[in-house]
Amino acid sequence: MDPVAVDILKSEEVVAGNTPAATPRSWYSNVLVVAAVLFAAVSVGFVGSIFWSSLPTWVHHGGTLLTSSAWVSPAGPFGGLSMITGTFETSIIALVIAVIIGLGTSISIVFFIPRRFRTVVATLVELLAAIPSVVYGLWGLLVIAPWMEVTVNPWLNKWPFAKTIFGNSGQEFGTSLLLASIVLGIMILPTFVAISREVIAVVPQDLQEASLSLGATRWQMIREVVLPTAKIGLFGATFLALARATGETVAVALVAGSVANAQFHLLYPGTSIAAWIATEFGESQGTEISALMALGVILMLLNVGLALISRALVSRQRKVLARV
Amino acid sequence: MTEIQAVPTTQVVTPRVRGPIEMQLKNVAVSFHGRTAVRDCTFDVEKNRVTSLIGPSGSGKTTLLRALNRLHDLTPGAKVSGQIILEGTDIYRGNLTVTELRTRVGMVFQRPNPFPTMSIYDNAVSGLRFNGIKKKSLLDEAAESSLRSAALWDSVSSRLKVAASNLSGGEQQRLCIARALALEPEVLLMDEPTSALDPVATLRIEELMTSLKSRVTVVIVTHNMQQAARISDDCAFLLMGEDRAGELIEFDTTEKIFNNPVDSRTLDYTLGRFG
Repeated sequence: MDPVAVDILKSEEVVAGNTPAATPRSWYSNVLVVAAVLFAAVSVGFVGSIFWSSLPTWVHHGGTLLTSSAWVSPAGPFGGLSMITGTFETSIIALVIAVIIGLGTSISIVFFIPRRFRTVVATLVELLAAIPSVVYGLWGLLVIAPWMEVTVNPWLNKWPFAKTIFGNSGQEFGTSLLLASIVLGIMILPTFVAISREVIAVVPQDLQEASLSLGATRWQMIREVVLPTAKIGLFGATFLALARATGETVAVALVAGSVANAQFHLLYPGTSIAAWIATEFGESQGTEISALMALGVILMLLNVGLALISRALVSRQRKVLARV
Repeated sequence: MTEIQAVPTTQVVTPRVRGPIEMQLKNVAVSFHGRTAVRDCTFDVEKNRVTSLIGPSGSGKTTLLRALNRLHDLTPGAKVSGQIILEGTDIYRGNLTVTELRTRVGMVFQRPNPFPTMSIYDNAVSGLRFNGIKKKSLLDEAAESSLRSAALWDSVSSRLKVAASNLSGGEQQRLCIARALALEPEVLLMDEPTSALDPVATLRIEELMTSLKSRVTVVIVTHNMQQAARISDDCAFLLMGEDRAGELIEFDTTEKIFNNPVDSRTLDYTLGRFG
């Protein structure tokens, strides 16, 4: 170390700086503290006001909201069951689509695509996340919906059990829960790929080589060493993608049909919590607003829960890799 | 470095009669994207002996070792030229699939790397499972015998289903050796297998290598010259050339390399004059 640096380290000011009480607070640290307090206050106020406005519904119609699917504007009753089931149906089907396609994409990007194309493909997939959701919604409505109506839905209706799963009423709708699921699946794909690719790519090279050195094929290496090692992180990616799907609003509002129906059939129009709030909010007042706020609370808790699970899983994966 | 080793011996050593050859290297060179990393490697690895590859960093020891079980195959731009012959078959051009080769030429890595999601037992038999062996009695037998060979059985036999990550570093490395031995390979490649271990664990691995000689030929890369002197029978000394490519300087019995080398650079290195 050069003598000047040593001198600075020894200088009284720096030594005094080690005891917090002795340092006078500069003006910018005060600004930062104020900003942090403001932010905390806004967060608490935000969450608090949503809970507060939803309170009447929880107190007087809490049971109806969770168990009934009849939503009658403007006087009630306000049953949220079909939005809740719609949210789960569309998100879970979307997740299945995204995980199957996404896992294949991630594995290909890491192991099979030549190195010089790797970044290009990865960037392209991740750019899908930058497309505004209203564009996805329009694309689903204008491009996929007519095709579903004319080609896919009649074909699906020919299958055994179609009536129980899809709802074969003889009428074909373009917008449906299935369409919403497909559009959602494509929308959450980049989220899943971005995280799962990373999780797969950081599996240590020497573990992979160890399996190859034991006579494993490339595919055995992926299936029995890479994926199990990355497993927890892959679940983390799955939950984060699920959180995105449950909260997605505009696209679902456009392609699901915005109908509060008491049914699970995939080819019927339906809605989700987020989409329903967006479509109903403008024309609602009084108790209906409170009911929508209550739906918002459910959605918020669901999303926060999923995000927490996802974060816990990703950090556990980090610990696993740290031990490897 | 001990002075005793450094004193050149004056006695005339009668050339040793060479034993059967396990692997022959003829003009082996490895390049990455056209840049040579190591070249001119010609020597014979004798059966049931420990051959060490020594030399300073950048001399291509590890690169050469990884060519011996075709681990460079997956590296884009990697090219291995020359011939590596295992029991009469050229491992790159001969009639031997890469997975078959790797079951005959096993590898132990620098970092103890048991598969983290597998138990001790599953790690030990993982090679057999990769190769399609499912019969439980066969797997049980292989697990026990390979763990015994790696001097690990007594300490783990009661907890075979425990995750391998619970073992100490030295135990993990012995598990990796057991994992490789379960396939009953002819050659065991070891890439600085003790560099991540403490001295006691290192000593145990060294003892293990000596005891394994009777059933497997060992090729070991080490940066530790005392280790090479202690455990190896033959020794290849590599050095980085003018163009930063590693090359073989000298190959002989370890005794000769350390006591009476032909090339002055070998002497300088073993004396610790550079490194």
